[in-house]
Amino acid sequence: MAPHQSVFKDEAKLDINYIPQQLPHREKEHRLLMEFFSFILRCPEKMAQRVIITGDVGTGKTVLAQHLGASITSEANKRAIKFRYVHVNCREYRGSLQPILHHIVTVFRPNYPARGYSVEEVFSTLMQVLDEDNAFMILALDEFDSLIEKEGSDAVYKLTRLQEMRLGKPQRLSFIFILRDLKVIEQLDASARSTLQHSIISLECYGKAQLVDILSDRVSMAFELGTVQEDVVDLISELAFTETGNARFGIELLWRAGKYADAADAGLVEPECVRMAVSSIIPGLRRSELVSLGLHEKLFLLAVARFFKENEQAYAPLTEVEKAYAIVCEEFGEEPNSHTQVWNYAQFLSSLGILKTVVATSTVRGRSTQVSLPSIPAFELEKELSASLEVEKGRA
Amino acid sequence: MELEEVFSSKLRMKILKLIYNLGSLNITDVARRINANFASTAENLEVLEAEGILQERVYGRIRMYRFNEGSAKAKAVQNLIEVWEQSK
Repeated sequence: MAPHQSVFKDEAKLDINYIPQQLPHREKEHRLLMEFFSFILRCPEKMAQRVIITGDVGTGKTVLAQHLGASITSEANKRAIKFRYVHVNCREYRGSLQPILHHIVTVFRPNYPARGYSVEEVFSTLMQVLDEDNAFMILALDEFDSLIEKEGSDAVYKLTRLQEMRLGKPQRLSFIFILRDLKVIEQLDASARSTLQHSIISLECYGKAQLVDILSDRVSMAFELGTVQEDVVDLISELAFTETGNARFGIELLWRAGKYADAADAGLVEPECVRMAVSSIIPGLRRSELVSLGLHEKLFLLAVARFFKENEQAYAPLTEVEKAYAIVCEEFGEEPNSHTQVWNYAQFLSSLGILKTVVATSTVRGRSTQVSLPSIPAFELEKELSASLEVEKGRA
Repeated sequence: MELEEVFSSKLRMKILKLIYNLGSLNITDVARRINANFASTAENLEVLEAEGILQERVYGRIRMYRFNEGSAKAKAVQNLIEVWEQSK
């Protein structure tokens, strides 16, 4: 049998965490951001900056900030300025400020203890550490909306006024706030809001021609020459365009189509591979969203998927799903978590829009939480989660 | 303290190896990782600090220990551990 010939040259170039050297159709915004933060290379201790990047899903907010971080880091290194770009996705910390700050401190002091310290203490440690190291930092808070929703005005105010509380000391901390919709800022009180609205960069959704350029760029980096034809790039761009101009969706589709081509040993990504890739992506749920879930959230979600696969009912009592969760935990060699924790998982997954929870009131047995899986086929979700959990199990 | 006195303690050597491998640590973490009680860990850390090998940094209520950057003794100890670990 002939050796398997992959269509990929370097599939890591399609990873959601990959930062490309060029950002097609975001050059203007990148230049503007560089202007905002260029003081770091000239007089870092004299200024601090706060910038908001906003735009719909897949418009390049994260990659734009990360690209800026890489550019400034590289220039700062040349000038022997101690600079760190730290990018934190607030949603991964459920929007809680304390663990977010703890994570940032551990970038500088990896063994800083995780528990038992207030937000104020961790704040103060962070500034002390920056002073000790004579370091300057841009902190990019991605999915900042989740922090606003969880912590409200006080936390935002504290975060943004850190510098003002250090009169006479060097400015060390600048911010990039990344959020989908500026409307969430309206929830804040006037003083917190005014500290945020400095410089705003709004990213428009990509047009189809722009998506063609972006995807062609990735094709040349990730695929062997001649394995992805122009019509395939065009088809994927069209699909990404209908998904509100979502470049991330297009890149994910490209990767999946390549995988289908490899699985069929086709040596070429054909339109049929793209069609198969589209049908394999669960509506309303992206692989990137599943990846960021914790182990027990995945186990719980797998239990939900299995429950609805086997039972033809729209709603399930949480207690029933909890039994299924215990079985899934046993299968993966994990100790099931408590009822309260399971309830938290249901609420969190509901806030992500993956599940829906309602409280049903019965005269006989009081109130009970009911769970439903409104828009994702249980079979597809089970398949996706099982694969993801098997990978995690393999790594452990 | 005499050289033989500083290095005659198994606990102190464990602490030095641990901090060499992990960087700065707080007392509770050191005690947990070397399986010793808090009081004797704190006492030994203070000895190593007094000898100029380690330095303490205080972050609010947290005391963290690491090798003393400006100390020749600290450099010598780190070299010793490095050579020792490599030749295992």
